[in-house]
Amino acid sequence: MSTATLTHAEAHSHHDHHEATGWKKYLWSLDHKIIGLQYLFGSLAFLFVGGGLALLLRWQLAFPSTQVMPDGNVGNPLSLAFINPQFYNALFTMHATVMVFLVVMPVLVGAFGNYLIPLKIGCGDMAFPLINELSFWVWLASGLIMLAGFFVAGGAAAGGWTSYAPLSSVAAYNGTKIGQTLWAAGIFINGLASIMGAFNYITTIVNMRAPGMGFFRMPLAVWALFITAFLLLLAIPVLSAAGAMLILDLNFGTNFFNPAKGGQPLLWQHLFWFFGHPEVYILILPAMGMVSDILSVNSRKPVFGYRAMVYAMIAIGFLGFIVWGHHMFVSGMNLVLSAAFGVSTMVIAVPSAIKTFNWLGTIWGGSIRFNTAMLNALAFVSMFVIGGFSGIFMASTPVNIFVHHTYFIVAHFHYVLFGGSIFAMFAAIYFWYPKMFGRLMNETLGKIHFALTFIFFNLCFFPMHNVGLGGMMRRIADPTAYEHLRALQPINQFITIAAIGLGFSQLLFLYNFFRSLRHGEPAGKNPWEATTLEWTVDSPPGHGNFATTPTVYRGAYEYSVPGHAKDFIMQTEPPDPDLPASALARSRPVPVG
Amino acid sequence: MIYVILWITGITGILVFSTMIYFIVKYRHRGGVGAIHSHGNNTLEVVWTTIPVLIFLGLAIYGNEMWGRMRMQKAPADALQVAVVGEQFGWNVRYPGPDGKLGKMDSHKIGKDNPFGIDPNDPDGRDDFTTYNDLVFPVNRPVQLHLSSKDVIHAFYVPEFRLYQDMVPGRVYDFVWFRADSVGSFQLACNQLCGQGHYKMFGKLAVVPDSEYEAWAKGKAPSATASLSSSAEDVATVNR
Repeated sequence: MSTATLTHAEAHSHHDHHEATGWKKYLWSLDHKIIGLQYLFGSLAFLFVGGGLALLLRWQLAFPSTQVMPDGNVGNPLSLAFINPQFYNALFTMHATVMVFLVVMPVLVGAFGNYLIPLKIGCGDMAFPLINELSFWVWLASGLIMLAGFFVAGGAAAGGWTSYAPLSSVAAYNGTKIGQTLWAAGIFINGLASIMGAFNYITTIVNMRAPGMGFFRMPLAVWALFITAFLLLLAIPVLSAAGAMLILDLNFGTNFFNPAKGGQPLLWQHLFWFFGHPEVYILILPAMGMVSDILSVNSRKPVFGYRAMVYAMIAIGFLGFIVWGHHMFVSGMNLVLSAAFGVSTMVIAVPSAIKTFNWLGTIWGGSIRFNTAMLNALAFVSMFVIGGFSGIFMASTPVNIFVHHTYFIVAHFHYVLFGGSIFAMFAAIYFWYPKMFGRLMNETLGKIHFALTFIFFNLCFFPMHNVGLGGMMRRIADPTAYEHLRALQPINQFITIAAIGLGFSQLLFLYNFFRSLRHGEPAGKNPWEATTLEWTVDSPPGHGNFATTPTVYRGAYEYSVPGHAKDFIMQTEPPDPDLPASALARSRPVPVG
Repeated sequence: MIYVILWITGITGILVFSTMIYFIVKYRHRGGVGAIHSHGNNTLEVVWTTIPVLIFLGLAIYGNEMWGRMRMQKAPADALQVAVVGEQFGWNVRYPGPDGKLGKMDSHKIGKDNPFGIDPNDPDGRDDFTTYNDLVFPVNRPVQLHLSSKDVIHAFYVPEFRLYQDMVPGRVYDFVWFRADSVGSFQLACNQLCGQGHYKMFGKLAVVPDSEYEAWAKGKAPSATASLSSSAEDVATVNR
């Protein structure tokens, strides 16, 4: 074979997917940007499903259908009769499953990961476009399979999103054999999609960075997604294995988890949490990365302590794998082991603290623009700090057993997941929307949406700390069944009203999102005056992203550099020959790899 | 402990939020004032890494010492021995009779008619008596619990006692003991999702003066194999 044909074959392999047209473009496209948008629309749809489930949950807690009223009647006059205890259990199980596997993971990793990685590192597409598209459809199928549980005999899985065995693994105990099997199958299939995405991201980032884009010139969003992909690759297979064992136990007579037949229920807990804790960081790391970028752009300042931020994320990635036992303090594990998990859990808080200080350092001395993206990013930082504080209470073994399985922990993870990841999602949508659709979202509507969300979020979730310390257990269908909780009922009703407000505020977001597709102000290439590669191309970028492969000459955060006319320097801008030699040396392109 | 953490997080919280608000206001965009250019400061990084490390290690050591005191201390020898077995959806409770000794229990013997896994040949068990969803403890006397579960994971939770222990089936947890220091009536709740009747799996728990406890215990008839499952199933009737 001659050299010429080889080159041609190589070139062909990179361009063998041509831009599809019409509806095909949105259903079966190999373009990473379209796949990113598919994930975005898919997970936004699931966000409203999961939110609807949450509102039904809250309604039952405020006005239980099983409540014994003073007149002797059963059922609060305001209650919804169809929410019986079994359905309630299915509601919170599926709410959590939908939010974790079908909203936060796909929107942060699937949507923004797909959309941003090639654009930010300067290449035309992902390393494996076909696998990329496959991962989206597999992911969507997993969601539909899980939700199908609501329509089968016995109803959807009702054993909690953690599905502790043997409740989940023995049909006689849970009464939802089909629903639980669908749940486990959905988790397994969802895992396939995550694994496909993860190795695609890793391969792309390692091999396809533009000339000059050294690892330490990558924007933090890319670093975060890179580390997240490793966590996915190592943690998800463990969950898939657990899901497969659960299906076997339920349907094929095995007894991995059933102690009555020689199985071990703690095996499930170890497998689940070995996945489950890295999962927590999978849900927050991409948010941290994107927020770092948004804070920097809108403060007109470089990220404070860029390398410290990268090392902190790597540390979180490693430590995330040795803290899973802290979910099992109360299962009666060995005392030395629980002491070790207590220490490692305290230690993993350190990188989070470092990141928080660096975010403050980033806005220090800046010239802050308060657009909607920035407001959501700042909300992310402050809510993440509150969530981190309540996490310290839980990490401490003696305190943990006081608050374990109460609403205190419900408050904690909603501060991290909603206050953290969802605010970051909003920040990212407002920030990259102009790149995705070529138009800006309406700022006034955006700010109203932000204010309503921020206020209702805190009204909804902060009082949960109080009811938790008041001894309210999670996962009970009717708090009024307990004497010590009846006094807390007005707070529960208050939380429900706030939750409804929070839910309806999101309609404003939807309206803004769809209205701006047509009526938004045209964005141009670089509406935020940011430095990274995605802002050098058209909005939305054409097929293949870059007309010619860009060359990168500097880091991702050259804002407000003294002596420059503009307060930002694109990564692609060649070094200024007038600069002193030392500055030039720093901005010379570095070899890839 | 909870107050130590509350103080630390409270003070840090005030510092972080006030710094944040100060920066947000001070460095808002104003015409003519540009941002400063800074990539960071290594000394600061070292400082704000070291301080949290020290605080968290301190908390971890303090917490573990306390955890050890809570968990490693053996119950006093004169503690009242009580076995509690969770099942969907109620609590089987077994008290020792006049001999003060519980019969031998073996988790492998737990079955439909034998929720405690009682060894029928053990004489200590002959005078034991059982209750269902009904616990009475004498005040100011140590009580040692032997917790286990018949079917799925339950959790023994009395919020007022700050008492929480998971009961994974197949194991017996006998390191939990306490001394109630005032009389009163409480509720024992299950705090590990155990199925559709989970929300109403609770029992009465009364702490009474010693004499009242003795009178209550005397009124109970010994039960040979302690099978209360028939009544248990009545109570646990599925409510849909």
